[in-house]
Amino acid sequence: MTLTSRRPAGTATARPAARARRAGFLTPPWWFVAPALLVYAAIVLYPSVSGIVYAFTDWSGIGDKSFNGLANFQHLLSDDQARSALLHTLLLTVTIVIVQNGVGLLLALGVNARIKSRTVLRVVFFAPVVVSPVMIAFLWKYVYNPDPKAGINGILGMLGLSDLRQDWLGNPSLVVWSIAGMVVWQYAGYSMVIFLAGLEGIPAELREAAMIDGAGRFQQFRYVTWPLLAPSLTINVMLSTIGGLKLFDQVYAATGGGPGYSSETLSTVLYKQAFVFGKYGYSTAIALVLALFVAAVSLVQIYYLRGREVGV
Amino acid sequence: MTLRFERNRREFLRAAGGLAAVAALPVSLAACGGSSGGGGGKTLRLVGVADQQKALDELTKLYTQAKFSTSYAPTDQVQTSLRTQLGAGNAPDVHVVYPGNGSAMSMAQIAQAGLLADLSGQSWTQSIPANFKSAFQLQGKTFIYSAGSSVIGAIYNKKVFADAKVEPPKTWSELLQVCDKLKKAGKIPIALGAQTPWVTQLISYALVPSTVYAKNPQFDSQMQAGSTSFAQSGWRDAFNMYLQLQQRGFFNDNPNGTTYEQQTSMVATGKAAMAVQVSAVLPDFRKAATNADDLAMFPFPGADTAANVWIPAGVVVGLGVSARSRNADAAKAFIEFLGRPENINRWAEAVACVPLKRDANSKIDPVLNPFLPFIDDNKAVPFMDQAWPNAEVQPTHFAVVQELLGGKTTVDKALAKMDETYRKKS
Repeated sequence: MTLTSRRPAGTATARPAARARRAGFLTPPWWFVAPALLVYAAIVLYPSVSGIVYAFTDWSGIGDKSFNGLANFQHLLSDDQARSALLHTLLLTVTIVIVQNGVGLLLALGVNARIKSRTVLRVVFFAPVVVSPVMIAFLWKYVYNPDPKAGINGILGMLGLSDLRQDWLGNPSLVVWSIAGMVVWQYAGYSMVIFLAGLEGIPAELREAAMIDGAGRFQQFRYVTWPLLAPSLTINVMLSTIGGLKLFDQVYAATGGGPGYSSETLSTVLYKQAFVFGKYGYSTAIALVLALFVAAVSLVQIYYLRGREVGV
Repeated sequence: MTLRFERNRREFLRAAGGLAAVAALPVSLAACGGSSGGGGGKTLRLVGVADQQKALDELTKLYTQAKFSTSYAPTDQVQTSLRTQLGAGNAPDVHVVYPGNGSAMSMAQIAQAGLLADLSGQSWTQSIPANFKSAFQLQGKTFIYSAGSSVIGAIYNKKVFADAKVEPPKTWSELLQVCDKLKKAGKIPIALGAQTPWVTQLISYALVPSTVYAKNPQFDSQMQAGSTSFAQSGWRDAFNMYLQLQQRGFFNDNPNGTTYEQQTSMVATGKAAMAVQVSAVLPDFRKAATNADDLAMFPFPGADTAANVWIPAGVVVGLGVSARSRNADAAKAFIEFLGRPENINRWAEAVACVPLKRDANSKIDPVLNPFLPFIDDNKAVPFMDQAWPNAEVQPTHFAVVQELLGGKTTVDKALAKMDETYRKKS
């Protein structure tokens, strides 16, 4: 049994004639997509692209605007609040990508096993994903209640671990990690579903062959399952990275960026600059930088993660 | 077989990613509203904040010269959606406006952009008290209607005070003694829900009239002229007093992790003795209490001599007429109707505030009686943010107070940050 790198030499040209015949018959004409593209262009592309102009103005959201060149971007470089928000965003993103996907993978391996309640468990683990992030944040405010008898602190007290009680959302040193915990709790089930789709696509005979070759459970996972989960990992890492970099709802609903500035993310800063301070020009500049940053990170991730994907 | 299988799986994964992106689109705003008004005439589009709904429901029904299409939403949603409408040139005929300056939807910010109609000719504007004119007027013209003022003070649980055998204090040192006694009686003296940003400002606002304005009534104009600063003023004393309350253990544990709702519940249920709050939230406290009559208010003393205690009394959120409204005349006529003394009284009663001008028919919530002598003696100053030049100072104040409570900054740095933000161009 061998696992080869994807698109081995010759594969791409092996069946061109058959593929072309099939393509001609099965591929719908391009204009089928035209109505959807038009709607997408009208409500997504046009507003987004036309909005870029505002990044080079001092527009306050009302009244006239005047162009101020690169002033907004210069301000962004010297803005302490934006810099600390960037740091929090990166911390949150790295934590969420690692922990959410780690937990999601463990859950997927667990519910992929032949256990009786696996369907129920899949639903239970996925359930938080379908709830609005704002609702989740409000619920977790109760879970993170600093009262010694409430939420996590209450459970810690019952377990005799009173010393570990915390002011989860009120302690500036802890708040970012508390938010990361909330996000992981909500979206680990989402990662699980994607890994599960990957796991179910791995032919059983490969594991059987490895077992016959004498591979133990860990070796089967390490040398068969893990390489073949690469496409799922690519999707999961990319989605969780994008989600982490643009994290807003949970932060805004749980802490509003506080206490102080200790849980501000780039998205909460750009929201406040626009809708609280009335600095739409500067806010658009932050949004533009954030969009370019997300695109760059995603492209780099695709490049590296696709490189490790394998075919069977 | 395997190659085709892998392709299908990848396509599924891509589709799943696409679906996730669609599902991640922002949720829509929630608001409530309707149509009202029994009369004929034009239909006026009115957008207000939730706090105004009770008053406007009553008054739009009484007004017979127009029909209304109304919509109400919480403050942050209104700030977002209404400002967008103002920017797009399709603002409602009558809409919420915040008094003075200092927020994105404040009278000064919107009037400067030429988006508010001048209400100066209306007769009710003659009853605006001199010390509140800056909240209503820009360059001598009136751009906002408001029915009166609400005060900031201590909402306290009378039963808890009686059990601890203490009376509402008249001076700062008396306040410290009362808090000591309440603490010894096993009660939290002051509930503080500083996780809710706007709650953080209230203790500063309660103290600053005594520590700043009682000594220097010209403080706002000096700040505007750049001849003084937060750091050089009684704001320093106010922050130190705020921290003194924390250092003496007079607040609940973890105020930065405690919300406004938890603060309300603590006082209403008698777990805490008092909370420094704005009178407009009295209905929330009363709803949470087993017996609404257990709750009362007293001016929070920020000076060691009773005669030097001043209070904050801010003009309540009001209404303006869009300068670009096609129905501007009809909208102004409605504002003129709201300005009649009987309607000012109706509005003031609905939102539990002190009416712009008191008369025999004014029904003022009895718990506000201890504040009236301060208003009559000109010892009341508008909420501080109403005189701040840009919308960033107030959120900065929220943030530095949270940092002070969390031990993440010092009074010097907090004041320097506020000064730096104050000097920014609006």
